[in-house]
Amino acid sequence: MIASPPLSKKSAAIDVRSLRVDYGSFTAVDDLTLTVPAGEVFGLVGPNGAGKTSTFRVLTTLMEPTYGEVFLDGVDVLEDVETARRIIGYMPDLAPVPSDLKVWEFLDFHAAAYGLGSRAARRERVDECLAEVALTEQRGSWCKELSRGQTQRVVLAKTLLHRPSVLILDEPASGLDPLARRDLRNALRRLAAGGATVFVSSHILSELAEMCTSLCVMNRGRLLAAGTAEEVRQQLGSTDRMLTATLLGKQAEAAAWLAARHGVHDTRVEGERVVFGFAGSDEDQAALVGGLVGAGWKLRAFEEKRSSFEDILVEVAENNRKA
Amino acid sequence: MKTDDIQQPMTRHAALDILGNPIFRRYCQSRLRIRGLVISLLMTVLGSGFFVSFFAAVGSRADASGVDAARVSVIALLVIQSLILFLIGTAQAAGGMVAERDEGVIDYQRLVPMSPLAKVLGYLFGLPVREWAMFLASLPFTVWCLWRGEVSWRVWLPLYTVLFSSTMVYHLTGLVAGTVVRNRRWAFLCSIGIVFALYTIVPQLANFGLVFFKYFTLGPVFSECLPGLLPRDAAAAVSTVQRLAPVVKFFGLDFSEWVFTLFTQGSLILTFVVMLRRRWQRAEAHLMGKIWAAGLFVWAQVMLLGNALPLIDPGNLFPSREFGRMFGPVYRAAAGWRPDPTEAVVLSGVYGAVTVALLALISGIITPSVDRQIQGWRRARKLGQRGIPWLSDAGSGWWFTLLMAVAGAVGWFVFTRALVESRWFPGQVLPVPVFGYFLALVLGGGLALQALLETRGAQAQRLAFILVGIVPLMAGSVLCVISEALYPLGAWVLGISPVAQPVFAAASQMPIADLPPSVARAVPRAFEFWTVVGLLAAFWLARDLWRRRSAMAAAARGTEKDGR
Repeated sequence: MIASPPLSKKSAAIDVRSLRVDYGSFTAVDDLTLTVPAGEVFGLVGPNGAGKTSTFRVLTTLMEPTYGEVFLDGVDVLEDVETARRIIGYMPDLAPVPSDLKVWEFLDFHAAAYGLGSRAARRERVDECLAEVALTEQRGSWCKELSRGQTQRVVLAKTLLHRPSVLILDEPASGLDPLARRDLRNALRRLAAGGATVFVSSHILSELAEMCTSLCVMNRGRLLAAGTAEEVRQQLGSTDRMLTATLLGKQAEAAAWLAARHGVHDTRVEGERVVFGFAGSDEDQAALVGGLVGAGWKLRAFEEKRSSFEDILVEVAENNRKA
Repeated sequence: MKTDDIQQPMTRHAALDILGNPIFRRYCQSRLRIRGLVISLLMTVLGSGFFVSFFAAVGSRADASGVDAARVSVIALLVIQSLILFLIGTAQAAGGMVAERDEGVIDYQRLVPMSPLAKVLGYLFGLPVREWAMFLASLPFTVWCLWRGEVSWRVWLPLYTVLFSSTMVYHLTGLVAGTVVRNRRWAFLCSIGIVFALYTIVPQLANFGLVFFKYFTLGPVFSECLPGLLPRDAAAAVSTVQRLAPVVKFFGLDFSEWVFTLFTQGSLILTFVVMLRRRWQRAEAHLMGKIWAAGLFVWAQVMLLGNALPLIDPGNLFPSREFGRMFGPVYRAAAGWRPDPTEAVVLSGVYGAVTVALLALISGIITPSVDRQIQGWRRARKLGQRGIPWLSDAGSGWWFTLLMAVAGAVGWFVFTRALVESRWFPGQVLPVPVFGYFLALVLGGGLALQALLETRGAQAQRLAFILVGIVPLMAGSVLCVISEALYPLGAWVLGISPVAQPVFAAASQMPIADLPPSVARAVPRAFEFWTVVGLLAAFWLARDLWRRRSAMAAAARGTEKDGR
């Protein structure tokens, strides 16, 4: 079990303790313990089948776990469903919308269901939320006629209507173009700055890394790592990177010198460049580069290439699958 | 969004404020759009107008009075309205519910802070709102025909009240089907199938002593009101026939068909609302709580008995009597009619079979799955409780099945005793020890199926039912058809099935039973043997159930395995 580290000293908006979800003999979520402070944009990443949606369905009171406890803003989600539902804003995976309603009707229905006041007050709030997701022009469109990205934004607007303090967004960026993703990122940050806690999932780690203040990685129902993006990278053991030193002569000698250094592996010479793998901290890398220059080789250029988050996740998933 | 914007107070909707219900209004918006509505209303108005003018014209050609022509039109309009509300409306209720689930938007509705009852009522009146509009469009024609036909309010008020209550029952059936059945097509077929069965198959049960079932339909009240709706000559004849049995007998009480149907349907409406309310509260909740389920079972027994017992002495319960009524001349010829003892045996067997089926159905509803039990033990541990609360969904359904089995056996025995000791079979007595046999049969079948479901799950239970309940029926039937010499073997094979056992019980325990010599020895012996086997199986499964529950409890108290 990996518990998420204390990300800040702020009070916990989401507190998940020893959560387990079984479907018959299949365990979808296994002993998940997680704490998300208020005002964070917290990401949950994992491949398909990692247990993200099951976790979200428990958090949103849509499903009872096999066991475990979940608190949202101090409210026990399993015991006080009604109160919990008032503070949750949930955007499910694929962001479904009814095919027989127009955008404003869909939003007005939810505004009315949440008891957001008179028709005029609801209209004002609907317009605010549509503006928030930059969809004012689609107010009178049919939901079924919207593009995938627009649909995502309409559902996000619906999620914001009742001003929830905890937003739970399942794959909100899937299907969005880069511009829309940027808008979504900005919108989430604004919400977090306003005091809301945003818990967002994706199977694309780089997408979350851009969007979130902290994140965690799940695979096969288990929490593998949690923290900032860099902390997650370290926890997953991915400090490995490929380094390329471009030298003015004596490449073979330099390669031999590097090969003898701690953490260096797979050294090879490609013309005037020496390419090698390095596993170590940033400090170790700085010392290595300093040593290379200090030893008298004429370093003309230096290049670093790290594994992408996707590579790390694929590797983790593969390792887990083999295990 | 500003911090102080978060969690502003939200108003909660009053459940009974239907017009202000957001779900109802949402469906008014989508289903009452001009384009779709105009066509539906046009068809309704044209259909209604056609029937009114057609019957007026026919009446005029036949020199019938305007009053009589208008009365015939009322009946035609009633048929149209029933089709709109019962069939189209019910299909819409079921299909709409499944569509919500298919589209995935039902989760939104689960999360909105409306009370479960408000959600149920919103869907109940919202999904078929166009059908209600079509019904309203046909009403002016009805009003005109009622006025023109000089139909008394004593006739149309009961009829339309029961039309409304029947619609509620069927629409709720559609909602329950749409909530429980996962496939859209199946949900649609189920709901329509139920309505169809209520008007075709279920009333046939009334011919086998289960009179109560016919009150789920509009039929009895329609028959009661028929004299007021028919042309006056025909009405007089029907009225004369109806005076033979003018009221519903319920134990020693007399009710009009109208009141009794409303009472029956009202109970069913309440049960369906409770089911849906529970599902809106928790998606995984059982359709009924344990107390409600046991109460419903006992209520069904009381209703079955209450309707059936008063009909025994007049002879109206026996199928041959009803058959005689249908063929009047034959009936009059057979003035010295008496029921055949075999009829009584069949009636008792059917009662027993329906009781066992009802027990299996209701105990299936309240029996927790293995996952649910683990959840219950974990929750009990979290709350510091020693065990799962009895009445919670995670609590065992075994004790309540036991309770219902006893109630069912009592009901069955009372019914059978009333048949045997009726004036039709003078000097016959059903001894009290027969109750023990009935109880053993219901307990064996009911508890074995329940324990199997609770320990091994629905698939194991279904498989067991097919192997023990259906296959012996088929095999035994085939054996009996092959040769008369195989009758005893066929009886032994048939006796395995809990479906056939109640008939065997009646045939072997009722003193009036007159079994053919070929099975006179096999039937009682097969019944006793298989009843003992059933009881032993129930005992063994119950032991297994308690062992597993103890393991689960131990796991929940902190050991690592979950006791599956």
